[in-house]
Amino acid sequence: MSDGPLIVQSDKTLLLEVDHPQSKECRAAIAPFAELERSPEHVHTYRVTPLALWNARAAGHDAEQVVDALVRYSRYPVPHALLVDVADTMDRFGRLTLSNNPVHGLVLTTTDRAVLTEVSRSKKVAPMLGARIDDDTIAVHPSERGRLKQALLKVGWPAEDLAGYVDGQAHPIALDQADWHLRDYQQAAVDGFWAGGSGVVVLPCGAGKTLVGAAAMAEAKATTLILVTNTVAGRQWKRELIARTTLTEDEIGEYSGERKEIRPVTIATYQVITTRRKGEYRHLDLFDAQDWGLIVYDEVHLLPAPIFRLTADLQSRRRLGLTATLVREDGREDDVFSLIGPKRYDAPWRDIEAQGYIAPAECIEVRVSLDDEERMTYAVAEPEERYRIAATAHSKLPVIRRVLDRHPDEQKLVIGAYLDQLEELGAALDAPVIQGSTTNREREKLFDAFRSGEIRTLVVSKVANFSIDLPEAAVAVQVSGTFGSRQEEAQRLGRVLRPKADGRQAHFYTVVSRDTLDSEYAAHRQRFLAEQGYAYTIVDAADLAGRGEVNGPDWVDDATD
Amino acid sequence: MSTTEGAAAPATLAAWLRTRTDEQLGTLLALRPDVARPAPSDVVGLATRLAVPVSVDRALDELDAGTLQVLDVVLLAPGDGLTRGELTAALPGAPVDEAVTLLTDRALLWGDDVLHAPEPVRRAVRYPAGLGRPRTPPPSDVEGDLAEVDDDERAVLEALAGENPLGRLPVDNAGSAPDSPARRLLRRGLLTRVDAANVELPRQYGLALRGDQPYGPVRRRPEPPTEHRDPAVVDRRAAGAALETVGRVGELLAALEEDPAGLLRSGGMAIRDQKRLARTLGVDEGAAGFFVEVAHAAGLLDLGGPHRDEWLPSRESDAWREQPLPERWAVLAAGWLDSMRVISLVGQRDLAGKAVNVLSPDVVRHTVPAVRRTLLATLGDLGPGLGLATDDLLALLRWQSPRRADRFVLVPALVGEAEQLGVVVGGRLSAGGRGLLTGGEEGAATGMRGLLPDPVDHVLAQPDLSLVAPGPLVAELARTLAVVADVESSGGATVFRVTDGSVRRALDSGWSAAELHDFFARASRTPVPQALDYLVDDVARQHGRLRVGAIEAYVRSDDHGLLSQVLSDRRTAGAELRRLAPGVLVSGLPADEVLEVLRAAGYAPAGESAGGAVLTRPAGRPRATARPGSRPPAGPRPLGPDEVEATVREIRAGDAALAARRTDPARQVPGVTTASTLELLSRAVREQLPVWLGYVDAQGSGSRRTVQPMTLGGGFLSGFDEGKGEQRTFAVHRITSVDLVDEA
Repeated sequence: MSDGPLIVQSDKTLLLEVDHPQSKECRAAIAPFAELERSPEHVHTYRVTPLALWNARAAGHDAEQVVDALVRYSRYPVPHALLVDVADTMDRFGRLTLSNNPVHGLVLTTTDRAVLTEVSRSKKVAPMLGARIDDDTIAVHPSERGRLKQALLKVGWPAEDLAGYVDGQAHPIALDQADWHLRDYQQAAVDGFWAGGSGVVVLPCGAGKTLVGAAAMAEAKATTLILVTNTVAGRQWKRELIARTTLTEDEIGEYSGERKEIRPVTIATYQVITTRRKGEYRHLDLFDAQDWGLIVYDEVHLLPAPIFRLTADLQSRRRLGLTATLVREDGREDDVFSLIGPKRYDAPWRDIEAQGYIAPAECIEVRVSLDDEERMTYAVAEPEERYRIAATAHSKLPVIRRVLDRHPDEQKLVIGAYLDQLEELGAALDAPVIQGSTTNREREKLFDAFRSGEIRTLVVSKVANFSIDLPEAAVAVQVSGTFGSRQEEAQRLGRVLRPKADGRQAHFYTVVSRDTLDSEYAAHRQRFLAEQGYAYTIVDAADLAGRGEVNGPDWVDDATD
Repeated sequence: MSTTEGAAAPATLAAWLRTRTDEQLGTLLALRPDVARPAPSDVVGLATRLAVPVSVDRALDELDAGTLQVLDVVLLAPGDGLTRGELTAALPGAPVDEAVTLLTDRALLWGDDVLHAPEPVRRAVRYPAGLGRPRTPPPSDVEGDLAEVDDDERAVLEALAGENPLGRLPVDNAGSAPDSPARRLLRRGLLTRVDAANVELPRQYGLALRGDQPYGPVRRRPEPPTEHRDPAVVDRRAAGAALETVGRVGELLAALEEDPAGLLRSGGMAIRDQKRLARTLGVDEGAAGFFVEVAHAAGLLDLGGPHRDEWLPSRESDAWREQPLPERWAVLAAGWLDSMRVISLVGQRDLAGKAVNVLSPDVVRHTVPAVRRTLLATLGDLGPGLGLATDDLLALLRWQSPRRADRFVLVPALVGEAEQLGVVVGGRLSAGGRGLLTGGEEGAATGMRGLLPDPVDHVLAQPDLSLVAPGPLVAELARTLAVVADVESSGGATVFRVTDGSVRRALDSGWSAAELHDFFARASRTPVPQALDYLVDDVARQHGRLRVGAIEAYVRSDDHGLLSQVLSDRRTAGAELRRLAPGVLVSGLPADEVLEVLRAAGYAPAGESAGGAVLTRPAGRPRATARPGSRPPAGPRPLGPDEVEATVREIRAGDAALAARRTDPARQVPGVTTASTLELLSRAVREQLPVWLGYVDAQGSGSRRTVQPMTLGGGFLSGFDEGKGEQRTFAVHRITSVDLVDEA
């Protein structure tokens, strides 16, 4: 009996014991063909999916390597059926190939005539195929490339895409690494992406995804379209690019509700692209405005459906998706994979934290008991009102205040979902509120003040969930959320994960009403963080120790003594 | 006379048997044990037994294709008997001598220099060497007839001249296409009719078509290629399959314990239940069916419940679950090996188009265990690490016992089952499989020991509320975890998840929050995450809120005054009563104690549903009793050497006694149809010789007549009675004597 770190389960999950001496080696061996599903403290769970196996094939791994890795690191005998299934699944890849034919343009060819016949009879695939050129070849219209790949994936005969990418219009871009360096994992992510052509890079918030994008642009050296969630995030991208690359202000355009600039590097918001007037998308020609060599999708898990459809038409251009978590509440992860590309890089959050690139975070759930009146209101409320009532309970206010008082010298964010509650909190805590209706200029002004330390506390709605770079925010208090959304939880945690100048710890509080839907949703959201390796500590509001008390945060500013 | 004895070669089987040594007779009895029980009284009795068709068939079934081909040559010889020299010439390069030894040892051929085939053997082999029966009258010009056929007709003839001389006529629907080649051949006599639909190619034409290879190519033992693989790798993979099977069967039993499957009126388990189990186990329905069948074959699952209409884990399954992994696997493997059920038929459609259900009584075949053993034994004959592809195995089995070839259609499915169990891996017998074959259940466990992981007695608790058991769990822990957590993923390890539902279930089955905390702390090798403790407490708190019935005892009365009196009575202080609501007093003490205290105080309370323990489940779990007798009937028990010796001695003694009063055995035992009688009659039929027949008719009057015999079969001889000048049928058992006319 060998004593490997891996346990292969019949349901194709792989359990990796983290404390095992071989675990690093084993992780490297299985990462190409298994998706990291959960990475809690002791045992990480990977899953071998057909998609992951096909991606491994596309990246040049064969079934023998996969089987060998499983057998070599497995602690127990590996179920034979599973190995056979792995080999069978991988064998399905590459029977069909998309390539450029000098005469006919884009064609679908096969090494197995039966497969081509099978897919060409499939109702889902047939409409995307053109004329049959010979027994083994069918013409495909270039615009169908993405949709065809998607459909072939669904029928289980993924096509190997050898048609390549257009280079786009060349534009000199280089990283300006005078006073910083690309981190190892960022380099690995860029390398993985570039070798694969297109795909998604998954890195925790604060781990420097923008730089991965910048480095990818420096590889492409071509005009680039960057799609971001909102204007503020777009401006952040712009600042970062100017600081970290040879690009100058004039080379970067902003395409948003306010400005419509098209430059060699153009940053557009999802919102402006999906704006419709008289039922028509007005800004789709943006995609054709330049011969883009690279398209970057920031926060790809939020990609709206219309952009999905557009992306299907852009298969000949390199695409880079960036995200902290591929969990989509709409379950469309597969579409991201098939249209943007497979996951090219992924790392457990705690690994990056251990390397010191994101701040260590303490997650605390503070439980508040509702007072009798609130409990009564909650008990008699309509089901659809219950969460709101529990989440916005007034009993939370003193607790929130206490939490903030624990960290008088830190930059603090109070994050919520309900505007009434935020307004109330803003008034009670004497802190400015940023929400959907706040103008971009106002937002920028407040964020700047926050960064400089003029403002210690900001109350923000979910507009601040994403892509707001507030490096000094060290404490986040979430008071209400979008039901049980896991990715929202991850994004909010991400707000405080940027490494702090003095390496101090970040604090992430969730204030929940005990024994209500609020705590149920909280449990659901927290499970995601637990799976990323962040353990929650649960504290009763009454037991919440103040600063310097037993179990309370340490005094950090003794310098004044 | 052919039946007289002399210095010349013995003329009948019985006479030849008499010339055999004791040792040779002993061999015969050991090889055909069915003729030795009860012991025949003398050699004639032995010859009679040897002629029993069932015995002949059984003996022939055990022979390989090469040996049967030698027999075919003798059967096809034009005269009565063939010398060894002639045999060797007929099958150049074939191991004729070995084959002859095999055949004479079994008395399927007899004679020392000239080899004869006994008549029952002739009858048992209907189409020797795949040739049809000779046409009577014989065709006058075989070559000429064959020269006239056209290409279509020749194709038909060539096909029938191959392995099987029988063909089916094309369907003739009301005169349409009556002129098929086969029909033309039939009209010209190149084919003969067997019945309305089937035709046969007469032997004369078959032989002519085969040319210089009248017996077909020499049937040598196939020597399929085999590739050596490291037995350690084979065993490791077998262990993987074994682990999987044992795990799945365990889960299956747990699922059935929770929710038994119903019995269909037609027997078997409903598709609905099969689907449910497949979902629970996370496997496809076919695999779920397989595990159900294996569990049933091993006696772990049977009918039970109050009306014997539910499929439940059996009592044996409790013991099984406590056993170490290798033993658990051995029980499954041994159950499978001896099961008479053809698992591969489950899910197939029967003739009526209805899919066969799991555990349906329709798939019992008594020959399956023998086929399983044969295929494992054949693989076992190869060295460790050597194996056969299924097609090669099939070819070898067909050569080994061609007369049972129809049974071997099951072989691919059976090999698949063996692979799934880990008995066979990639066509190679695993150590466990080898043990199973030679040492049964015990051997199987021995073979698998050391390959399966040792059970672990701890789990790793993680902050996402999952508990990972990094290996098979010791039985006690597995039982507990099944209650307090849900299984999320199983295999070599098990991933459990603690949810509010599972904690509630644990509380429902009598655990307290403190016990749960304690259990997690004990079972987990990693610190128990705070979230887990909070989850237990949260659920326990909710649970407690609704714990109306958790009060141990209550005292209830419509007479509030009486209750007040009880409450204030000093003598009842020991009952620790307090008022819960008007009309209800409760106590933390068990009801019987409260009753006792109240009775002692002179009240007359009546017990009302004594159980404050309604929350706990009954301790006993329902169990079915597995029925014994699912093992196959043993074939004829092999004879021990002592037994053989004693039987030979007995035959010899009987024979000596018979010899004292014998002149001609064929004539001397009226009313007994001996093998010799039949043999003589058969020869007469074959060679068209007239015989003297002593016959007793239905009225009991004897007569002696000259008969030209024509056919013999089904206990009747038909022939032309020359004295009466008519065709007659004679019951063989009324024939008192036979003699050939020309030799009389």
